[in-house]
Amino acid sequence: MTIAKVIRWLLAWAAALVLLWSFFVVGLRLWRTHAPGDHRTQLVIMQWGDASEEEIVRNLVAQYEAEHPDIKILRIHAADFDSKLKTMLAAGTPPDLFYMSYEYVPEFAGLHLLANLDPYIAALPDGQQWLNTFYPVLLEAFRYDGHETGKGPLYGIPKDFTTMIFYVNCDLFKQAGIPVPYNGWTWDEFEADCKKISALPPDAGGRDYGAVLNTWTGVLENIIQCYGGDFFNGADFSKMTIDSPDAVAALSMIQRTRFVDNSVYHNSGPAASNNGIQLFYTGKVAAIGPVGRWETPHFRGTGPGDPGITQFHWDIVPMPHEKRTVSDIAVVSWSMSASAKHPREAFDLLHFLTGKEGQQTMARLGLAIPSIKAIATSDAFLSGKPDHSQLFLDAIKDGKISQVPAEREFGQYLTDEIGRCIDLNQISAADAARTLKDRWQTEMASPLNSEEFPLMNWRVVGAIAAVGIVCGAAIIWLLSRRQKLGTLDRKTERAGWLFVSPWVIGFIVLTLGPMVVSLLLSMTKWTAMSPMTAAQFVGAGNYQHLAEFDRDIGPSLRVTGYYALLAVPLGQIAALAVAMLMNTKARGITMFRTIYYIPTLVGGVTMATIWVWLLNPNYGLINRMLAPMAHWFGTTPPDWLQTDAQRWAVPALVMMSLWTVGGGMLTYLAALKNVPVSLYEAARIDGAGDISQFFTVTLPMISPLIFFNLIMAIIGSFQVFAQVYVMTDGGPGNATLFYVLYLYRQAFEFHNMGYASAMAWILFVLVLLLTAFVIRGSRKWVYYEGLKA
Amino acid sequence: MSIANSDITDRSYSLQSASQPRRMGKKSTGNPTHWITYALLIGGAIAMLVPFVSMIASSLKTDPEIQQVPPTILPRTIQWHNYPDALGQDKMDLGQTLPNTVVITFFCVLGQVISSSLVGFGFARFRFRGRNALFLIMLSTMMLPAQVTMIPLFVLFRRLGWIDTFLPLIVPSWLAGPFFVFMFRQFFAAIPEELMEAARIDGAGTLRIFWQIMMPLCGPVIAITAIYTFMNTWNDFLNPLIYLNSPENRTLALALASFNGQYGVSHVNQLMAASFVTMIPCLLLFAAAQRYFVENIAMTGGKS
Repeated sequence: MTIAKVIRWLLAWAAALVLLWSFFVVGLRLWRTHAPGDHRTQLVIMQWGDASEEEIVRNLVAQYEAEHPDIKILRIHAADFDSKLKTMLAAGTPPDLFYMSYEYVPEFAGLHLLANLDPYIAALPDGQQWLNTFYPVLLEAFRYDGHETGKGPLYGIPKDFTTMIFYVNCDLFKQAGIPVPYNGWTWDEFEADCKKISALPPDAGGRDYGAVLNTWTGVLENIIQCYGGDFFNGADFSKMTIDSPDAVAALSMIQRTRFVDNSVYHNSGPAASNNGIQLFYTGKVAAIGPVGRWETPHFRGTGPGDPGITQFHWDIVPMPHEKRTVSDIAVVSWSMSASAKHPREAFDLLHFLTGKEGQQTMARLGLAIPSIKAIATSDAFLSGKPDHSQLFLDAIKDGKISQVPAEREFGQYLTDEIGRCIDLNQISAADAARTLKDRWQTEMASPLNSEEFPLMNWRVVGAIAAVGIVCGAAIIWLLSRRQKLGTLDRKTERAGWLFVSPWVIGFIVLTLGPMVVSLLLSMTKWTAMSPMTAAQFVGAGNYQHLAEFDRDIGPSLRVTGYYALLAVPLGQIAALAVAMLMNTKARGITMFRTIYYIPTLVGGVTMATIWVWLLNPNYGLINRMLAPMAHWFGTTPPDWLQTDAQRWAVPALVMMSLWTVGGGMLTYLAALKNVPVSLYEAARIDGAGDISQFFTVTLPMISPLIFFNLIMAIIGSFQVFAQVYVMTDGGPGNATLFYVLYLYRQAFEFHNMGYASAMAWILFVLVLLLTAFVIRGSRKWVYYEGLKA
Repeated sequence: MSIANSDITDRSYSLQSASQPRRMGKKSTGNPTHWITYALLIGGAIAMLVPFVSMIASSLKTDPEIQQVPPTILPRTIQWHNYPDALGQDKMDLGQTLPNTVVITFFCVLGQVISSSLVGFGFARFRFRGRNALFLIMLSTMMLPAQVTMIPLFVLFRRLGWIDTFLPLIVPSWLAGPFFVFMFRQFFAAIPEELMEAARIDGAGTLRIFWQIMMPLCGPVIAITAIYTFMNTWNDFLNPLIYLNSPENRTLALALASFNGQYGVSHVNQLMAASFVTMIPCLLLFAAAQRYFVENIAMTGGKS
């Protein structure tokens, strides 16, 4: 036996063993869980967080279960917390307790998804006292009366929070001769300090930057508020004030320090925030903020693989101020679902989870600030780096909770429009503010957002559907009676239908049914977090909004079309070319085939992470290779995913799709191998050269496969989602807002499930038309051997 | 009685065995391979492998070293411990996620091959009323984005009590996938009618024809179906995310995604290590199977 055979034999045996072992493990587990019924009350809780945070909650759960033998707790850790929570809410089976971030309270409370905790607290012997142990501002964050945050029923108990501060590299400050501003500094001083620090002579690792500025929604509002402005006029979300001189001044400062002074590191690339953190970590940046306590564990070091900052002295300073002193507060609570089946037991668990023990352990971990005052001011929090941890707590008196509209679209528009100014330096702050205001007013003016709608009458719908099915069945039966069939044909027909039946059943139950439901949903306004009976009927309102009020749908279709236009032909040509290459008798061809196929084995998240690194404009391999060529032409390689994204993001994604050419190569290779040699011989006898043989023999013989692959490629290109979601999230601006990504965003980030369903149906019709077009055209150039007409 | 021995089939078709490979494909003479071919092969191979190599290299670095700017190519010191760290019970939990994924994948592959071949056969070789319409409908279902039917499907499965079991992940595979039905149909269609007629003359029933003649001829398509289904199920993330709740029911893809903390990937090196391990079965499967469906089975066609 050759070595290859031995290896294969061993692998087969290994695979069989793994298979058997797997069945054993799973079978054992199933047998155990179907053992005698569990009489304990089951509570389901859901969290996010990394392994250390999971560990804490796991231990708390174990402790609680030990003290309460009649309670069984199922703890779910969700990687994609948002969408999992929404799916569970949509099906009416949300967890009993779950993490709730303060910014979602208006929306969730407005939809009656959260339980009011006041009655339960009142039922406790020391309820009010217990509440007093928390920082008041945190509790206010979870009170909502239907209009604004701060008053009304209590919808969650804060488990931890953080105020915003700046981490500083004390050594760099010293080098530049600036005293570290522990007692506070103004934004003007911030600008000046950054200039001084970035003017320091560069060392072996490159130049130093004054700071890294984070600019997500909450902290951006923070900065604007320091200058005296705000997004809106208080809680009146119809009046946007981002174009006020104060707000514009704040935005201009950010733009100036990033692009004119070049003293604030400008994060280019999708891994933006990680870049900033890393720069600080390696000592190239003097300050980073506004940011919360969550970087502390990383800076402290968590173990041998993550040693922490050791080369310089780091600490924290308060947020800079200007006209006002403001520090944003981010807080997360444990909240209870309004539909919890055992609310009293659930609340008891909630009480425990937000109690002293968990908070003390969390405090020591360093991720956040405990919400109970006593613990926050104790050693558990204050000991360990940073030395000035007290500043976290001092900021609370200037702390305020962000007030943002319940409509999620706001955050996206903010990123898109303001991003053009402070991330891409393409327009001025005043212009960006004006565009954002205009866009927001348009969205609010749409009938979907301004009118009231009646509830969807599902009973009428059900009746119509039933009638429709009966009619449809009758029509099919009548049509079938038109053709009279003989016995043999009838037998053939019965056999045919029998063979096809698995798919037909699957189609009706798993596709047609849900499709009809989603068509109905496309005529509703539904957030998918309340039961379907709460859906509102809007008729053609969604389609009207799509045509008239949606500013993103056009760019989205354009981006998707552009990608399809590039990726489909290039992909097919590349796959065929590579397949022909693989069809030769070169040495080690088997190994080459495997190598070319490897990229398709890498999963979505991993591939996206790898390519983000590859496409990095400064250090990515691709630009490093293109640099000499580009210099020859007098330019530099593009910043694929950030500043040059409008033109180069889609080609970058096409490149990424070409990397997985191995998949297509495989099917073409199989087809090439199946072309009979006799045809080539005949062609050669007739005097055809190699190239002519390709066009007269190869192409026609594999044309069915080309046809098939073309259709699949078109369909696939319209459904690109996972990579874009991970790499660019549709940005910057709309440069990579692929259609399905936009659909997902409407459904799961903006909670417009009805509108998303309408979008899905439009996509469906579009692709249907395209495919019909290709099929019609295929009659001219596809050659079949034995298909029954 | 072996149908392949019959006179009629021998005259028109010869099913080759591996010991006598009939030369197929373009290169039919003994020309030495052109150096350009080698150059292209090697160049492309490098392009394919570099990201992959960077992944493995990252998996053996420390966290700060990965995000170092400018990046290093090879790790300064090899951190072998990244692997057991990543695969242990609190991260990948290989002891639970691997069996889960294997069981789900096994049933999916089996179901997909059986059901898709049956349905493809029905579409290709039987004339029945409504066939073309049905086929077109099936094609068009491939264009429906998963997000549309996701929530109604979830509600359906919840009614059936299948949430947090493997059933919602497995059962759809047993109801045929349009992609694979299409492939089988094209392939079955290319098999000339004479073969089937000859078998019928020899007295074989339809099902027997299907199992004993058609399926063996479809080696390449079966292999492709099996491999694609394996890859898709092995790496599937969205469906396990929705339907599986309990930690002990998780699959590999779900566990991989859990490396994504709230603020991005916290340990890129462990993610790369875990990704590499997750990739290995797919890699081995492909390396082992590609011989079979690319080279060995060949059929010389040709109408008389």
